Amino acid sequence: MSDSIPTGKLARSGIAGGALLKAGGRQLGHAAKRPFLSEPARREQQLQLDDDTARILFQAFSRLRGTALKIAQMLSMESNLVPEWFRREMSKSYHQVPPLGRPLIRKLILQEFGKPPEALFARFEAEAFAAASLGQVHAASGQGGEALAVKLQYPGIGVTIDNDLQLLRTLIRPTRYAKLLLSSIDEIELRLHEEVDYHREADNTEWFRNQLQLPGVEIPAVHRDYSSKRVLSTERLPGLHLEAWLDTRPAQQARDRFGQQLYDIFVHSFYGLHALHADPNPGNYLFADDGNLGLVDFGCVRRYSADFVELIPRLLRAYKERDAVKVISTYQRLGMVAEMEEDELQRFYDEVLQPFGDWLTKPFRAGRFNFANQGFSYTAEGWASFRQLAKVRKINSLANEFIYFDRTFFGLYQLFERMGACIDMEHQWLV
Amino acid sequence: MKVSKQEKALTRKRILRAAGDVISEKGYKTASMREIARRAEVGDATIYNYFPTKESLLYGYCEEKQRAVAEALKQIEDFHEYSLREQLQQLTETELALWLPDRAFLTQVFGLTFSAPVAGAVNLAGTRRLFTRMVEDMIDAAIEAGEIPEQPYRELLAPLYWDYFTGILAFWLHDDSEGFANTTQLVDRSVEIIAMVLQTAMIGKALDLLSFLFRSQISRHLEKLGEYTGPWKKAKRRFMEGGDV
Repeated sequence: MSDSIPTGKLARSGIAGGALLKAGGRQLGHAAKRPFLSEPARREQQLQLDDDTARILFQAFSRLRGTALKIAQMLSMESNLVPEWFRREMSKSYHQVPPLGRPLIRKLILQEFGKPPEALFARFEAEAFAAASLGQVHAASGQGGEALAVKLQYPGIGVTIDNDLQLLRTLIRPTRYAKLLLSSIDEIELRLHEEVDYHREADNTEWFRNQLQLPGVEIPAVHRDYSSKRVLSTERLPGLHLEAWLDTRPAQQARDRFGQQLYDIFVHSFYGLHALHADPNPGNYLFADDGNLGLVDFGCVRRYSADFVELIPRLLRAYKERDAVKVISTYQRLGMVAEMEEDELQRFYDEVLQPFGDWLTKPFRAGRFNFANQGFSYTAEGWASFRQLAKVRKINSLANEFIYFDRTFFGLYQLFERMGACIDMEHQWLV
Repeated sequence: MKVSKQEKALTRKRILRAAGDVISEKGYKTASMREIARRAEVGDATIYNYFPTKESLLYGYCEEKQRAVAEALKQIEDFHEYSLREQLQQLTETELALWLPDRAFLTQVFGLTFSAPVAGAVNLAGTRRLFTRMVEDMIDAAIEAGEIPEQPYRELLAPLYWDYFTGILAFWLHDDSEGFANTTQLVDRSVEIIAMVLQTAMIGKALDLLSFLFRSQISRHLEKLGEYTGPWKKAKRRFMEGGDV
């Protein structure tokens, strides 16, 4: 029975070990069978294997509540960066959290406010209505009757982050997707440590609410009286999450409008505010009937230097004009150090950078770009160039501001694809 | 001078509170009845009317804690709407929360109880009874409501939960994670298993299986006994000098 009780780090490694062993065993069995299978059967078999592996990994993940859920969200955000099966299994976790029972909710609220939920709130729903980063969200009413969304953090999450991540590294290392996934995990670790502080998120939410004033975009007000380091209460916004909204089969016009809003938020945040809501996880947007877009969960906010903000359009322009010298010099100004000779650099530009740039600027060249799947996926196409870029070992450093910028940009494009939206890409800053 | 029942109860509580403080501060061995009496503002002799020995103070304190836990659970308005799993977890969490100010005291209790397990168990019998009564009540209510099936060997369940809880306390006393996060997680996950076991009435089934195996094995051996024929056919070989080795 001991493997059913995932307690300390040791016990948790037990779980991961078990899952790994199962996955490994299947992989082995598969390899042994493979030479005897016909080509279509082989593909079929591969698919099947992947599903099995996904299920086993998912089982292990879902038992490591909290951190694992967050990583699941992050991975499913990068939907084309991980295999489709993995994304499919992981995306189930958005709203399928192993729920925090009443005793732990009570404990948390008592710890943070010195009184139980029924005394703190006028009304408190014991059942969560959504999963959030490292916690779950409950509907509640404040003493004045105001409708609140109360985000509760899993107790003890701070302590388990390091353990869980170490474990996930171990879990992922021997799989085929090791390189792909491990690189994400270091960043995820940093982000998680920031995200466990809800005070910080409350500050970010208020900052964006004051600064980002776009028509049709709503950012909830923070209710400080009901917030602490581990509890964040905000105004409850109406609207559906992406998948639920897509299930209502929205009209093309609505898809385009919401997509455009998302794009405008991105452009305005980056160029106007020098900051990004850098977590384009579909769970962070609320699509409301009245056409308003709710923006929630400001756990991950990135700020950018004026230099970076100024150089990005320059880079895009250089790519658009296929100007090798300007592209390279802009990268250098952004902090890229490439240890290459002149001709090697030229080859690098021709073989890697320009194809990447062509892909990158494709929507901009089109002016109005249709992300709806027309037999090809724009982001999947881009992933190939990304991989080329990642293979180049001679680039010693790149402004780390890039990491989140790229990710947010890419994540947004993926959202547009899921929505099947058509977006006006032209903006003043590109001209 | 006649002392009312109520006053008596209050004095008793005050003495226990003082005992808790003094034992936590000085350790069980160094703490004296006189000092406890002084802290409780009762006469040196009076304290013996309530608690004849220092030991009875120690364990009386544990019993008082159980009453406080029961009281705290009664204060939770919708406690009867909790699932059995939630109730058991709430019980465990409430115990931990109420023991928190007395963690040093509890360490003393553990030291004394486990250095002399038999005497310790006898002394803790009252505490244990108060604790198991709460668990029995939760299990009974769950069975009455049809939340879990009727449990064979029902009377064993609450004592088993007590044993489990003692383990949790020991774990907690050694837990150095921030906010005792590891204990919280251990409780959260282990209570889930316990609820599952109760859901399937697994303990009864396991015991049935054991007793079935026991009976069938024993009866087989009893039959064999009948076949016993007396002296061996040949002399037994010497130790470690067997044929093939």
